[in-house]
Amino acid sequence: MDTHAAYKSRWLPWVLLAPTFVILLVFLYYPTFETFVLSLYRVAFLGLSKQFVGLENYKEIFTDSKYRQIFWNTAVFSFFVVLLSMAVGLGLSVLANQKIRGRGFYRLMLIWPYALSPAVAGVIFLFLFNEQSGIVNYLLSVTLGISPNWLTNPVLAMALLIFVAVWKNVGYNVVFYIAGLQNLPGEVLEAALIDGATPWQRFWKITFPLLGPMTIFLLIMNTIYAFFDAFAFVDLLTKGGPSNATNLLIYNIYRDGFEYYKTGLAAAQSVILFVAVVVLTIIQLRFGESRAHYGG
Amino acid sequence: MKRLITVVGLSALLGFAFAAEKVQVTFWHAFGGGRKAFIERAVQDFNFMHPGIEVKVEHKGSYRDTLNAAILAAKQGNPPHLVQIFEVGSQLAIDSGIFVPIEDYVPADLKFQLDDYIKPVANYYRIGGKFNSIPWNSSNPILYYNKDIFKKAGLDPNKPPQTFNEVVRACEKIIASKAAPKCITWPLHSWFVEQWIAEQGALLANNENGRAGRATDVYINSEAMKRIMKWWKGLYDKGFYAYTGKPEDWDGANQLFVSKQAAMEITSTSDVTFMQTAAFENGFALGTGFLPVPDGIERNGTVVGGASLWLTKGHPDKEMKAALTFLLWFTNTENMVRWHKGTGYFPVLNTSVKVLEWQNWFERNPAYRAAFDQLLQSKANRATQGALIGPFPEIRTIIENMVQEIFQGKDIAKALAEADAKADKALQQYNASVAK
Repeated sequence: MDTHAAYKSRWLPWVLLAPTFVILLVFLYYPTFETFVLSLYRVAFLGLSKQFVGLENYKEIFTDSKYRQIFWNTAVFSFFVVLLSMAVGLGLSVLANQKIRGRGFYRLMLIWPYALSPAVAGVIFLFLFNEQSGIVNYLLSVTLGISPNWLTNPVLAMALLIFVAVWKNVGYNVVFYIAGLQNLPGEVLEAALIDGATPWQRFWKITFPLLGPMTIFLLIMNTIYAFFDAFAFVDLLTKGGPSNATNLLIYNIYRDGFEYYKTGLAAAQSVILFVAVVVLTIIQLRFGESRAHYGG
Repeated sequence: MKRLITVVGLSALLGFAFAAEKVQVTFWHAFGGGRKAFIERAVQDFNFMHPGIEVKVEHKGSYRDTLNAAILAAKQGNPPHLVQIFEVGSQLAIDSGIFVPIEDYVPADLKFQLDDYIKPVANYYRIGGKFNSIPWNSSNPILYYNKDIFKKAGLDPNKPPQTFNEVVRACEKIIASKAAPKCITWPLHSWFVEQWIAEQGALLANNENGRAGRATDVYINSEAMKRIMKWWKGLYDKGFYAYTGKPEDWDGANQLFVSKQAAMEITSTSDVTFMQTAAFENGFALGTGFLPVPDGIERNGTVVGGASLWLTKGHPDKEMKAALTFLLWFTNTENMVRWHKGTGYFPVLNTSVKVLEWQNWFERNPAYRAAFDQLLQSKANRATQGALIGPFPEIRTIIENMVQEIFQGKDIAKALAEADAKADKALQQYNASVAK
């Protein structure tokens, strides 16, 4: 079969692709390459002067206890954000996919938080969970007589951060899961129903496996979300505090790079984050290929 | 008639050509809101009075954003002429090498203005014997208190606490009498710690606070620091001290105070105007006092906080001159008077203080008085001159993290030792990166 059938000449496809390549080169590959290079330097003043230090930056990151804590925070945060936002997203989608009155309204309400910018969401939660004058603590003290210090307790601060990140991303998962649910082959479920499978069995034996490809896709998207998009929440809610308990890698990269002028160190952290995301994505795809059912 | 038209047309053309040759000066600063508008009005006035110069003013975000933007612009060969840089960025700005020492460029007939700065301000910004930048917005921390709550608690509303122990005693009364749910607040910010170190006459870094030579050792593990942390932790444990939980949350602390949740707040003198308005709107009587200090020590005074204006290098002579003309006009006596009245920042020129005194300004506005007296009574020594440390922004975070660890129950001696080691390491890395 002639693969060039659509184009008369050999080079026309390359010409048509050229703009895309240029954009990829200039805005993706070049900065990525630069980041790798910078991570081997000690850089002062955002690049005004630099000296080659080899793997010094990486050594610092892997030996300093501060960075160990940041990696741990990032792992905990990402694990819970991915798990909870997908589980809650799936649960809500199943509920919103039922043929009930006003489901259009419910779906809209579920997706709404996703449309809010992280900055706005962060500020709203900052007001809600203010220790002295927030409405959450007001209600808690009136009903239960307690007033938790959300932002000064390390565990509560992390929990709050996870909660906000999950709240923000559930809508995204709901959109995709509802789409997935509506594309499920009705005859399979119908057959199961006739064979007397319980709703619980129908969900776990049929619906969930059939949603596999969607779950793998969302797993990757949610991991990327947890790694990269938490910046605004950390900056607005805790600034990494109390004492680094909620400092995540993406936030620390910003701090090291633009507040403390340690560009080389920040670049090295970006490389680590980059590698982590690539590895996780490969694992998830491999795992997905063997487990997910992609249908006909 | 024809000739007349030609003449008029030609001169109009000439005028246009002349107008197009205006010297352009760019000025980047970090003030938003009302202050931004205030600055823009001043710049309009300047452009109106100086037809040969056109100053373009831009708000570049926070102090850090402004400094970052200036460094990046310089890297690309197109820096703004004038940049506002926060006080702790001074060493960083010098090391970056993109600015000129401004004193060398001030024309002889305007040098008098450099001798007019009030002492504490000149002490801070005169580095290595000369002004590297022109002081602009300067402030100190003072105590603001709610006189109504003081009365309710049975305290003398005209006698704010002066020392750490007096604060504790006042707090006991305020909380016991339920006059307010919390006693005192201030943002969890390293700035206040630095001030209390200076008040005790102690240093924050070696080589005389980095003023006699480049600092190589940060003094966090000190008696002076221990005194501050013990008191602060005590206030926190007893529920006297309140903060929002977020470090460096200035607005959050103001909110606690003006909403009458806390009886006292320690914050910048640059908020005097804001506080007066807020007190009026929320219906309480506002009092101000000196920054409370540890008991049994002699009050040394406070370090000037705020920012100054820096001139970047690499512009044609004509532009450098125009930039300086604007700069010295913008910070001259009459503009400093206006700036002080509009914001609460100090009038940093002696002559502007005289103008204000002649107008009986301080008598008519006693809230400004405490702020200013505290500054003028500061002793001139290395402690109150303030530390020059390159990675100051990072050291501040280290100190703030340390405070939070102490709140969570970490042993004070251990927390100080650990923070000290971290700060020294950050300083070593910085010094290595700027070593030529």
